[in-house]
Amino acid sequence: MKVSFDLELKDVPGQLLKALEPISGSGGNIISIVHIREELSKRGRVPVKVICEIKNTDALEDILKELEKRDIWVSVDEVKRKKKMTVILIGHVVDTDLRDTIDKINEIRGVMVADLALSMPHPDKESSARMDIEVSGHIIDTVLERLDEIAREKDLVVIKSLEVSD
Amino acid sequence: MRVQIIGFGIIGKGFAAVLKDKRDVLRQRYGLDIKVVSISDITGTVVNENGVDIQKALQVMEKSGRLIDYPGAVEMGGLEAIEEVDADLVLEFTPSNIKTGEPGLSHMLKAMEHGKHVVTSNKGPLVLKFRTLKDTAAKNNVQFKFEATVGGAVPIINLAKENLSCDEIVAIEGILNGTTNYILTRMHKEERPFEMVLKEAQELGIAETDPSYDIDGIDTASKLVILANSIMGINATYQDVKIQGIRKITPEAIELAKDDGYVIKLIGEVKDSHLEVAPRLVPVTHPLNVEGVLNVALLKTDVAGDITIVGKGAGAIETNSAVLSDIISVWRNGNNRNDGKDYP
Repeated sequence: MKVSFDLELKDVPGQLLKALEPISGSGGNIISIVHIREELSKRGRVPVKVICEIKNTDALEDILKELEKRDIWVSVDEVKRKKKMTVILIGHVVDTDLRDTIDKINEIRGVMVADLALSMPHPDKESSARMDIEVSGHIIDTVLERLDEIAREKDLVVIKSLEVSD
Repeated sequence: MRVQIIGFGIIGKGFAAVLKDKRDVLRQRYGLDIKVVSISDITGTVVNENGVDIQKALQVMEKSGRLIDYPGAVEMGGLEAIEEVDADLVLEFTPSNIKTGEPGLSHMLKAMEHGKHVVTSNKGPLVLKFRTLKDTAAKNNVQFKFEATVGGAVPIINLAKENLSCDEIVAIEGILNGTTNYILTRMHKEERPFEMVLKEAQELGIAETDPSYDIDGIDTASKLVILANSIMGINATYQDVKIQGIRKITPEAIELAKDDGYVIKLIGEVKDSHLEVAPRLVPVTHPLNVEGVLNVALLKTDVAGDITIVGKGAGAIETNSAVLSDIISVWRNGNNRNDGKDYP
């Protein structure tokens, strides 16, 4: 997966190497480095943008942990970290307040219902909804738990996808 | 090898039929001569130390459906036959009962205590008392084989234990029930409601009159428990499985899945000691997307990566492929493979 890191380094020698080691150490391939010495960040540090190819989200988590340990400020391009999860809900999806269902999912940080398709055969009958949920890799289990809670509370069947795709 | 058949229903009769065809192959390839010294069903037992006439037993069953009508049959139960008749191996084919495990559980334990190897297709006892059975077999120094309990002809357990013996199996996902796969496949293709497809499956004999065992995920959960115990060493029982069946799947849900490139399948999954049976969205291009009554299992391993195996998950004849390979395996292990024969 391709990831873009925005790093903030202390303006002392050796900092850039210190920041890149965790990436190469995890088998990542650095594609480009933009080092902007003229524009200091709000915290008075030197901003560096690193774009690289890394193995997977586990590698990403390792890199982030290591950078934190080394006192390097980092933010990662969130868009590239998102994974798509598809679920189908069956039951009285609309009557049990679909808006509320979506809110309950969206209120988890880093999670967003990005698409919704609804099929209602008859007002009295159960309906079905398909949701595409964008999730940051490491909180997928939280989302799955929340879906189970919603299903219990509203008597819905939740069909989860077998795999979560990038 | 002297063998006792306990339970002469669909699988038992299937075994007799396959054995008839494979006798020569077993003798030539493995030096294995299987002699059926007794057959028991609920009505009685036929005993013959020189080998029961299998053809005749099948004819009797076809005519009356009662083994006691076999000339010379006695009113002896399975348990008594295991105690009384001298044999090397017991084939336990009685109907599966996942509430009590009986009568299979008593048959298996009794056989082991009498120093007889056990090969079975009966899930119930394993789902309830896997540890007890394994321990009893070990204590009595006999072999216990049960490939036919999961996935019918598909050699999932032996694949993991024999061929992937060095790998750690970290997760298993699969379709372990042909009936639900058949129903979901037809719902997907014909856009028809669950009840209608179920009714047709019942008329075709693919689903039982009481279909709950299959469609409520009980059968899949039972098989998952056996896989978790035997392949992954997880000490799980039926109560540990989170189960959701397919009764509530609507044609609309299937349509919504289809529109986005998915099929809905009843999937059993073991991962991190968590056992779950639930309908899942499977990408159409995924190896678990197999149609009709087929079974499939995907083993996630640490060295080999993902391995998928597909085949017929039921059938009187097909299931006995697993039974016979278990018998051969018992035979070969018993011979310590030091008998100078060149085994394939």
